[in-house]
Parts: sequence; structure tokens; C-alpha cells
Amino acid sequence: MRRLLAALLLLLLALPAAAQQPTTPQLAADLSTDRVEISTGFTGSSVMVFGATERLIGPETGDDIVVVAWGPPQPTVVRRKVNVIGFWVNGPAATFPDIPGFYAIAATRPVWQTLPEDVRQAARLGLASLPLRATGSQGPAFRAALLDLKQQDGRWQEYAAPITVAGGRLFSARIAFPDTVQTGDYRIEVLLVREQRIVARQELFLRVDRVGTAASIAQVARVQPLVYGVVCILLAALAGWLGSIIFRRS
Amino acid sequence: MQVYLPIAEMSVDALLLLGIGFGVGWLSGLFGVGGGFLLTPILILIGIPAPVAVASGANQTLGASVSGLIAQWRRGNVDARMGSVLLVGGLVGSALGVQLFALLRRLGQVDLAVAIFYVVVLGTVGMLMVRESVRAIWRRRRSGGTATKAHEHTWLHGLPFKVRFRKSRLYISVVPPLLVGFGIGVLSAVMGVGGGFMLVPAMIYLLGMPTSVVIGTSLFQVVFVSANVTLLQAWQVGSVDIVLTLLLLAGGVAGAQFGAAMGTKLRGEETRALLGLLVLAVALSLGWDLVRVPESLFTIGPAR
Repeated sequence: MRRLLAALLLLLLALPAAAQQPTTPQLAADLSTDRVEISTGFTGSSVMVFGATERLIGPETGDDIVVVAWGPPQPTVVRRKVNVIGFWVNGPAATFPDIPGFYAIAATRPVWQTLPEDVRQAARLGLASLPLRATGSQGPAFRAALLDLKQQDGRWQEYAAPITVAGGRLFSARIAFPDTVQTGDYRIEVLLVREQRIVARQELFLRVDRVGTAASIAQVARVQPLVYGVVCILLAALAGWLGSIIFRRS
Repeated sequence: MQVYLPIAEMSVDALLLLGIGFGVGWLSGLFGVGGGFLLTPILILIGIPAPVAVASGANQTLGASVSGLIAQWRRGNVDARMGSVLLVGGLVGSALGVQLFALLRRLGQVDLAVAIFYVVVLGTVGMLMVRESVRAIWRRRRSGGTATKAHEHTWLHGLPFKVRFRKSRLYISVVPPLLVGFGIGVLSAVMGVGGGFMLVPAMIYLLGMPTSVVIGTSLFQVVFVSANVTLLQAWQVGSVDIVLTLLLLAGGVAGAQFGAAMGTKLRGEETRALLGLLVLAVALSLGWDLVRVPESLFTIGPAR
């Protein structure tokens, strides 16, 4: 938090000076951290995106800020349950091979109010603009279910958190990651929208990593599955044996 | 207190897991079974993915059975020769079972298969147990004593490859114990259970083993088969979550001691009738989940 405040202050101080130069950036943004760590006590986390614009943000000037966060691609299957002789079983399935595992969009105004459709499609702004190509079963119901279920577990978010604007030029938005967040490289785009166009954009990067015990366990389990299996057997046997000694009631 | 499960990739309340471990451990101590058949469905119920629940359930069963095996071994209640024959069948069965599990996972039918296995196996075993124990209670009420069945000779005794099992006082073919071990091995891999609740009746009624060595010998089989399942699930499916296992065990071993202390106060037939009812209840609730209209027709999962 202290780091964030310091950065905001610096930005504030830098603004008047920067405004006089002709090559002044219209948009400057940064993240409160460039690393999210999944430790053994991880229950989800959030990252603050903050920045400042050269001109005032708001309906008077027509300037808007859009923040989009992308996770690494995560191939996902959507299965539909069907009733077979009275039992509900997994029936037809649609596989979405390249959709982001995490997607969040926040904006001062919803993008459909500020940008025309072709721009939204090209920049993939908003869940409706994500290309949801499926293999296997087709049909709008699978897409609708995907959108619905991904939003329910918090891995896709559309205007879930507001962008707050202070002093007309300082903006900040919080991106919340659920505990089911994947590890990998995340990309965060900050866009400045004016007169139905994207006039400035900045890309920021964030890494989500497992650390500590959780990291080593997952690492060993993936790289050395046999060793991991043996360790699991020994640990469980040891725990069972120790426990029976500690809790023995004779 | 939330704790992050590195393989399940989600965070769960550690106290909830300890509590589940304690409750299941208490029941397993009370009834003298591993409790895997209760644990796996409960884990799935609280949102643990089915593959992780099955694999970690097998791992937990291993830990929960180890201390029992040590105690029985010290008292000389393990027929190691019979246990080894059962184990050979069990290892082959569990190896095949894990392949079946991996195949089901690729087909996206793990949840369904696990549920069906549970409903069929638990339903059958529960019904048999209740029927048998109710009969025994009734018989005792009428005659005032327990009627012992004479040793019967069936077609099982005509099979080749006869071996003498000294501790069990049996001279029978190795084929029936191999088949019993194999069957339990498959179920163990697919359901994440040790199989004690099926193995014990099979040893008494099918193989005709004396009750004194049944518990010890079944624990022998359960420990090694669940170790095999753990290893293969970790190696081929990658779904054993050691954090989950250890939390469940911590609650489980404590609960088991309290349950065992209480179990000594109950009569054999009553205990078996209660256990049978519990098994039936689990089967019925899982069966109901299969036939009721699901809340959401769609599910999502990672594509593999």
C-alpha cells in the first residue's frame, strides 16, 4: 500500500511538468505488484491497477478508461447432462481450445456505450467480444453456459469492480483473482477511449506463481510423479502410525 | 482457517477437513472399517474434484489402516500367506482399475462411473449386511444362543492349485482368493476405498476363513493395495493431494481411537446392522443425485 501511495504521489507531481511537453504521454499506468504468490494459505488475491491521464476523465470531456486483464489460455470443456433411462449423465460436450483462463474487464463506462462494435471485437473488449470457437458440439447453449459458469466462479468478470477516479485524472481499479486462479503470465491492458476510438494504450504484465510448500508439492508431483507417489505413501503411513501412538486410549 | 490444496488447486477450510476426518475416523473405528466409502463421497460433496477425491481417499485409507495392521500383526492375527495371495490379485486389479479410471477421465465420465460404482456396490453390500445381521439378531432372540454354521463344501473346493493356509486352517485353491483380491483391487482404484467392508464378508462367507484372522488379513491387503493405488494415481493421473490426505488423517486417527473405544461396547450383530444401514444410506443419497433433475444442466472442466 505504501508503495502504491508513493507511486501515486510521484505521478501527481510529475503531471504538471509532463503536461507542458509536446510528447507527453496521454496515459500512464502501473500495477501495485507484478507478482501474485500462491502460498499454502492462499484464498485469492487482488492487484491494483492505477494510473493517470493527461486530460480529465469523465462524461464532460468524453474520456474513458478501460482495464482488461487476460490470463493464460485454458482449454475448457463444457458438458451437457442428458437423461438416459432416468439417470442424468454427461452427454454432448463442446471443447473451447483457446479461451483465456482468466478474463476481467473494468471501465469507467461499459464499452458498448463508448466504442463501436468493430473496435470492441478487434480488441476483444467485453465477454460478448471474446471469440468462443468450439470443437465438438456446437450451439449457443454451450457458449451461454460457458459464459455463465466462468462468471459464477469468478474467473471471468465483466464490470465486477468499478474504476475509481480521483481528481479527474488519477484512476485505479482492483482486479480480484479467485483461489482457483491458474499460474502463468497475465497481461493487463489499460486503454484510453475518446470519441469512439482507442487513443492510447499501455500493456502491463503480471506473473502468478506458486511459492513455498504449495509450489514444491505441485512441482514434485508434476516432474517426479513416481517419487511423489512414494513420498505420499510414506507420509500417510507415518502419519497414521504416529497418530495412533499419540491418540492411543488404553 | 483456509488452506490451499496444491493438486486440487483450490482452497478449503482446514477445520472442515479435520472435522470430516474426525467424523469418518470415529465411524471407522466404531465399525472396524477404513471409512473410505464415506470419505470419498463427502469430499466430492464439498467440491473436491472427483479424481482428487478418489486418489487422496485411497492415500488416506492407507494411513488410517497402517496402525490397525501393526496392532493386528503383533497379536498374530494376520495370515500372511492368505494376505499375499489376496494381494497378488489386488495389485493386478488395482493396476487395471487405475487404467480404467484414466480412460473414464478422458471420456469425461469419471463422476458418473464413480457414482454408479458406489450405488451398485454399496447398495448390494449394505442390503446383504442388514439382512444378515437382522437374521442373526432374530435367531439369537429365538434360540438364546448363536447358531454356528457347519463347514460347507461347495464347488469352490473342487478347484485346482490347492494351498494350505495354516493360520486360517484352510486347504483351498488359490483361485477364489485371487479373484476376491482382484475384484477388491479394481473397486479400490475406481472408488478410492480400501475395500475392507467388502473384503471382510467375502473372506468369511466365500473363503470360509475364521473371524479371528479376518480383520488382520484384510488390513494387510488394504494397506498394500491402497499404497499401490496411491502410487499409480500419483504417477498416471497426477491427482493425489498430500495436503488433503494429511489433514484428513490428522482428524481421522484421533476419531478412530474414540470410535474404537465405543465400538467395544456394542454387540457384533447390532454393529453390523448399523454399518449396513449407514452403507445403504450413502448408496441411496448417491443414487438420488443420479436421478434427480440437476440444478445446472451444464458443467465445465479443464480439457485434457
